[in-house]
Amino acid sequence: MPEHSPTAKWLRHVLLIIVPVVLVAALLPHVYSNRLLLFNFIVFLTLAQGVNIIYGFTGYLPFGYVGFFGAGAYGFAISVMHLHWSPFPSLVVGALTAVAIGAVLIPLLRLSGPYFAIANLAAALGLAQIVANPALQGITKGPYGVSLNGIYQPGLSYGTSIVILVFALACALYLRHSRFGLALQAVKNDPISAAMAGISVVKARTMAWLLSALIAGLIGANFAWYVSVFYPENVFSPDFSIFAIVFALFGGVATVTGPILGVLLLYGLYNFIGISSPQYFQLIYGLLIMVLVLFLPSGIGSLLRRWGIHVV
Amino acid sequence: MIRKLLTSVVVAWLASVAMLATAATAPAEIKIGTLYAASGPFAAISMPVFNGLKLWVDAENAKGGAMVKPYGKRIPLKLIAYDDQSNTATAGTLYNQLITQDKVDLLVADSGSVLTSIAVPIARDHKMFLFDQTGTGAAFFTKDNPYIALMADPASTIWPKHMADFLTQEGPKLGIKRIALLYATNDFTGTQANATRKFLKDSKAPIEIVYDNGVPTSTSNYTVLINNIVASKPDAVIEMGYPNNDIAFLRNLNDAGVKFKWLFTIYPGLETEHMEKTVGIPGMSYVYTYTPSSEVEYKAESGMSLPQFRDAWNKAYPDGKVAFGFNAVAGYTSGLVIQNTLATTKSMDQMALHDAVFALSGKLKTLDGPFELDAMGAQIGEITPLGQLVPDGKGKLKFAIVYPPDVATAKPVYPAPSN
Amino acid sequence: MLTYSILAGLLFGLYFSLIGLGLNLIFGVMRIVNLAHGDFVILGAYAAIGLFGLHAISPMAAAVACLFVFTIFGFPIYYALVPRLLRSSDPEMLSIILFFGLSQVIEALVNIGFGPTERSIPGRVLGTHPISVLGQSFPSAWVISAIASGLAVLLMFVYLYRTRVGRLTRAVMVHRDEALASGIDVDRVSALAFGIGLGLAGVAGCFAPFMLGSVTPAAGVDLTIQSFTVIIVGSLGSPLGTVLGGLVYGVSLMLMQTYFSSWAGLLPYVLLIVILLARPSGLLGRRIRYA
Repeated sequence: MPEHSPTAKWLRHVLLIIVPVVLVAALLPHVYSNRLLLFNFIVFLTLAQGVNIIYGFTGYLPFGYVGFFGAGAYGFAISVMHLHWSPFPSLVVGALTAVAIGAVLIPLLRLSGPYFAIANLAAALGLAQIVANPALQGITKGPYGVSLNGIYQPGLSYGTSIVILVFALACALYLRHSRFGLALQAVKNDPISAAMAGISVVKARTMAWLLSALIAGLIGANFAWYVSVFYPENVFSPDFSIFAIVFALFGGVATVTGPILGVLLLYGLYNFIGISSPQYFQLIYGLLIMVLVLFLPSGIGSLLRRWGIHVV
Repeated sequence: MIRKLLTSVVVAWLASVAMLATAATAPAEIKIGTLYAASGPFAAISMPVFNGLKLWVDAENAKGGAMVKPYGKRIPLKLIAYDDQSNTATAGTLYNQLITQDKVDLLVADSGSVLTSIAVPIARDHKMFLFDQTGTGAAFFTKDNPYIALMADPASTIWPKHMADFLTQEGPKLGIKRIALLYATNDFTGTQANATRKFLKDSKAPIEIVYDNGVPTSTSNYTVLINNIVASKPDAVIEMGYPNNDIAFLRNLNDAGVKFKWLFTIYPGLETEHMEKTVGIPGMSYVYTYTPSSEVEYKAESGMSLPQFRDAWNKAYPDGKVAFGFNAVAGYTSGLVIQNTLATTKSMDQMALHDAVFALSGKLKTLDGPFELDAMGAQIGEITPLGQLVPDGKGKLKFAIVYPPDVATAKPVYPAPSN
Repeated sequence: MLTYSILAGLLFGLYFSLIGLGLNLIFGVMRIVNLAHGDFVILGAYAAIGLFGLHAISPMAAAVACLFVFTIFGFPIYYALVPRLLRSSDPEMLSIILFFGLSQVIEALVNIGFGPTERSIPGRVLGTHPISVLGQSFPSAWVISAIASGLAVLLMFVYLYRTRVGRLTRAVMVHRDEALASGIDVDRVSALAFGIGLGLAGVAGCFAPFMLGSVTPAAGVDLTIQSFTVIIVGSLGSPLGTVLGGLVYGVSLMLMQTYFSSWAGLLPYVLLIVILLARPSGLLGRRIRYA
């Protein structure tokens, strides 16, 4: 039955998921002028997919995910400031910087569960310290902040972010439908049996790890392009990791629409609380996170599945 | 006689029609948008500034609003403020919200360079003038961006000038030859340390820097560092950090029973009462620091003087949860600049506001000192003189201004007596 | 300079051992990443500040009070959070997020109650003169907190090795399911361990205004990651391991401040990663089984 062939299904999902997202992202700025808010949504949508790829498919919780984001941002900045390259090649430099950091941190993949999470967090915080050190002022401007002149193009950089989001969604879709993704999930659930079934556990994990680093690096570099003025604190803020993780988890990992739902609902709620009741902002959001973990630990996706809705 | 009466009636009628016409186009309120950090690492410096600004808004509204020249009357102010939780991504979306959704007439930045940095490109993108309260990052003020001016902090690149000049001009006469420099590595204090080093070296005075080290801003323990400084046998010690650094440094000094002959730190001057509560008066005696301009007999020609402002603050915020000090004054000063801008601007157009703000340069004197901008919007007035905190004999400390000579009120006590 | 740095590191390190002791117990027994640990320490600090400000109660008395109050409060917090957590699909990872949420809640409450400004207790409360140790003089607060730390370690040893509950706790630390299978009320043992862990955090917090100069609501985050460094560098489960971890961390930090001052902030992260990769069971190298 050609209707249910893998290619047809894949294509159907592309149309159902990616096209609406792209259309909304591209057209909304004409209606709603707070483009930075939309940009931040795109950033978190992308980061949530990156978290999805590494946590949903391999079970490692990247508590220091922001390290790749910041690496991408600073890779971009260094390329613009010192190599004097234009934004697009610099985006590539940023992405490659993040992948390089990912490669350096591959040994961390040997660690299990909470140890990996803490070590990853330490790595990100350590990277932030290194970048912000005055000794490296000549390269990263240290603690004095980066100010990129002449490349400020909010429209173009916003458009590029949509392209990067599509890339991230495509990666997640690919993993959802491919044998590689299936292999990853096998490794996540039972590494020993997976190894016995002939899956190269180490190779699979490493590829997923580097892929998620690439995604964060790309969107990080794009972030640097969009804002063009930032300090180490802006691009290495642990909030990026935590939000991305919370959104991905409560949307539902190992699916493609889960993280999208999570970002739209939770980040939307976050912004709503921020505007409506600022004085208890932190308290409300902290309680919300706790309630979600305790009462909806498998995410909204599981809720939908219980109601019979098939989640991609 | 009748003609005269008729003329005056016609004139009065025309005048009232004209007034009604301008009043009809005047907005019901002037919207001022700003952000504050109620939580997170920047809350301690942000809340005082916000409270100072809020106090100014309330004071103006008590008078019926701020005088807005284009409409010739007082218009009530509405302060629209959101909490960015010290998170720059959140700050970005909220700044944008203020501009695009709330459509504020005036945009005021949150406190500190990090939370101001995100506003700079946004303001520029939307062609809105940014009233930068305390963000001193040198990268903000460039020739190609007219949409910014620094309200209340002097640029970090020149703030230490009087302190450095004291060391190079008066220091050798007192026998100061060896200087130790310890600073926290962030934009605010790192820039000041760099500026100090440059002033000291360029002066060609017979002094040398025998200890020069940066430490992370998160440093909460200085005991070993103090020991190392002592080992370098300095005549003068400069320590630059945020309040948590200064508090830890001065306390560790006190705990270790060490007293330097000459010691400069920043926050004993900027947040004196707060430091007295956390460090204690013995720990701050004979310390050199930035003297708030209000202690320098500056006549505040616009707005309240420091004692008046302090009283108003204590009445408005009696619970003492937010520190009163330089940052509170900064918020209030930003308000005063806005007040004078609105009173002199030709229109509410953003570039007209820009012109009005820059026109105030060199003319406005507040409790924060003389307001003076360079061509790119950086604050070069409001530089604080060097003062020393001396015991007044009644168990409290008072400022003795020691440099520059034209405002000095006393001679420095050197070396500081060890207790 | 070197001798002073090392001695200072040892003394200051003992304080970090005190901070880490509670986390060691909680992580060892429940494998829960308590990201709110630093915030509980700060909560203890604010309790001491509040008690001192209102009733001029000495921080040492406050420490004893915190030990009991936090321990008692540990029970309802445990029962509200942990059983549900353990029933979910990935408790270890979810605990990270849950306790992160808790840390935000604690920080927000402290912020609302005390405001964001730095607070402290006058230094003279814990002694007005520096104390001389091996010929070098150190603030008296350091010596007192070192003694408190030693007492806490002693208490932990007595608890774990001399009481019946302690023995059960060690059993749970080794293998939770086996302990459950052999009839141990794992929940009650864990709740007690959780409470004691929080109590120790509170005690450490009472000394924080002296050791750290001042505290703010946001200061907990930094402390948490340093505590993890301490317990991982030492060995999990063993109180002695935490002491060793604290000492190593303290000495390294002071040496960094002396020779590579601007890189001192990097130390906890580098130590953590190096130990996890090179010697995962910690410097003591003993496996949990021998806790």
